[in-house]
Amino acid sequence: MSSETQSSRNRWLLLSPALAILTLAAAGPLLIVVVYSFLTPGDYGGVIWQFSTDAWFNVVAERDFFDETIGLSDAHLSIFWRSVRLSLLTTIVAFLVGFPTAYFIATRPENQRNIWMLLIMVPFWTNLLIRTFAVMEIIRNEGVINSVLVGVGLVDQPIQMLFTDFAVTLGMFYVYLPLMVLPIYASMERMDFSLVEAAFDLYATRWRVLRKVIFPIVKPGVVAGSILVFIPSLGAYVTPRVLGGGKNLMMGNLIELQFGQGRNWPLGAALSITLLAIVMVALIFYVRSAGTEETPHG
Amino acid sequence: MIEISGLTKTFGSGDSAFTALKDVTVTIEENEFFTLLGPSGCGKTTLLRSIAGFVDPTTGSLTINGDDILSKAPFDRPVNTVFQSYALFPHMTVSENIGFGLEMQNRPKSEVQSIVQEMLELVQMTALADRMTSQISGGQQQRVALARALAPKPKVLLLDEPLSALDFKLRKEMQIELKRLQHETGITFVFVTHDQEEALTMSDRIAVMNGGRILQIGGPREIYDHPAERFVADFIGDTNFVSADLQSVEGEAAEIVLPSGKAIQARSVTGGATSGKVTIAVRPEHATLTAPGALIDGTLQNIVYFGTDTHYHIETDANSTFVIRRQNQPDAAESQKIGDKVGISFNPGVAQVLRD
Repeated sequence: MSSETQSSRNRWLLLSPALAILTLAAAGPLLIVVVYSFLTPGDYGGVIWQFSTDAWFNVVAERDFFDETIGLSDAHLSIFWRSVRLSLLTTIVAFLVGFPTAYFIATRPENQRNIWMLLIMVPFWTNLLIRTFAVMEIIRNEGVINSVLVGVGLVDQPIQMLFTDFAVTLGMFYVYLPLMVLPIYASMERMDFSLVEAAFDLYATRWRVLRKVIFPIVKPGVVAGSILVFIPSLGAYVTPRVLGGGKNLMMGNLIELQFGQGRNWPLGAALSITLLAIVMVALIFYVRSAGTEETPHG
Repeated sequence: MIEISGLTKTFGSGDSAFTALKDVTVTIEENEFFTLLGPSGCGKTTLLRSIAGFVDPTTGSLTINGDDILSKAPFDRPVNTVFQSYALFPHMTVSENIGFGLEMQNRPKSEVQSIVQEMLELVQMTALADRMTSQISGGQQQRVALARALAPKPKVLLLDEPLSALDFKLRKEMQIELKRLQHETGITFVFVTHDQEEALTMSDRIAVMNGGRILQIGGPREIYDHPAERFVADFIGDTNFVSADLQSVEGEAAEIVLPSGKAIQARSVTGGATSGKVTIAVRPEHATLTAPGALIDGTLQNIVYFGTDTHYHIETDANSTFVIRRQNQPDAAESQKIGDKVGISFNPGVAQVLRD
């Protein structure tokens, strides 16, 4: 056996654990989901092995129950739209809060930074459900905010915050904020702060220092943070379920519904693929537009 | 003209308070190459950063051409800085870096372009104008940092140890280059360094600093030949310290008696003692090796050959070490041997009386 074939065989041998994990954990399940989306739903859940495109048809369209006319599925589309809208909003709010937070931590003395980061991370290590219920406790009609507002006399009746889009956005913002702060902080900590001084020295006002120097340099962190917040928001399940009540569904809830009460596994599978497609399109679009300027600092 | 008066800066408070600048008063003239020289932690960088606006002095005043600038933000001061780390913007090209200050001043695009061109030529970087700053060498980055700070034509250019990151040969080149730029632009340069040689070769005037104070201000020759304090004499060049008895002072002339009993004229120091025990400083190259019976006698302990010159280490009869440096002549035979009794001699006016 020549040494060349041996080294090539060794390479495959070394790669095999990674390949096995990728096949079993990523490609395989995805393939199953794709296959299921083209099957017929079973009466009590599960699938019947009979080819059908009904599930894909039902993702965006619906046949009227009475006169069989075909129309767009308003229910589904509005859920897609809400998912994208609230996820974008969550990402923007997380950036607006996360960027100054990261800047604040990065400008503390070195020995204090880890303490601040720890404070950011502690909620992240807490169970998601508990954190979500904590938000609920704060904003519900008899919750902290409304009790204070009513008690002080600022409002006559509690403001309805729970079970609204606001509640869902607030919950997702709170849950995913560390994912925004962390990468921005990482790029900011690497940044040479004498660059800020140099910009000040060269007649840049504070706002222009931020826009012309700090932001372009930490942009890779902002891009990473935005992706890390946007993607899980789009597929969020627990937060919209608890804080949105039954009314303000997002894609994650819609999918769960098909596998649960809906007993329509193919539709659930098709919706999952749709969610994946939306994420991919959003990612490609975002990375393209964010990566137009060269950022060698990254 | 920069007028600094009574400038004091204390960092922190209570037990951890640290005074980086103590009552600094100095006037820097127009078009001057002024150097702040001292060891690390002496306050030279704090003084520079006070002028730039990155440090807010505790007390004192600071004016440029009569304008009080202490109340102004860094971006409102007519000064630019060349940073030790260069601090070039990594997301911009060489041209964009140089044009940054001009753009922040909202100058018209055409003017920005022409000044950037002019600056690129001044620092010989025209060929690399569109490179990113990460793609050029350290020496080239140094030139860009200089051009960027010079482009807005500030009244004062502040340089914070700009040559310390360069290798020896490049440093020599940049020293000459800096001097040329200062001459061509006519801008006042305030230069911070801990390198005494750099200070001596480039400066019009030098302020030697230690412990947050300015110890002496003067031209390179004056600082070297006539150090006023022991620290200055020790920090710049090599020096022999000899204790002596000060007899009388008349103007610049001081009459001293050496431990050997021999009397000689030395140079007095302003603000020093007028009689009693003093320390005098004599540069190794200002003294000559002679036969015993000279101003100071001793035993030759070591002869160190350096190529250009030879150092003679002498244990004096007063039990201190004295070094004489003699320039070498071609094929000169060594006339003294280690262990010989020798004499040390120097001319009247060469020895400098120190303040403390």
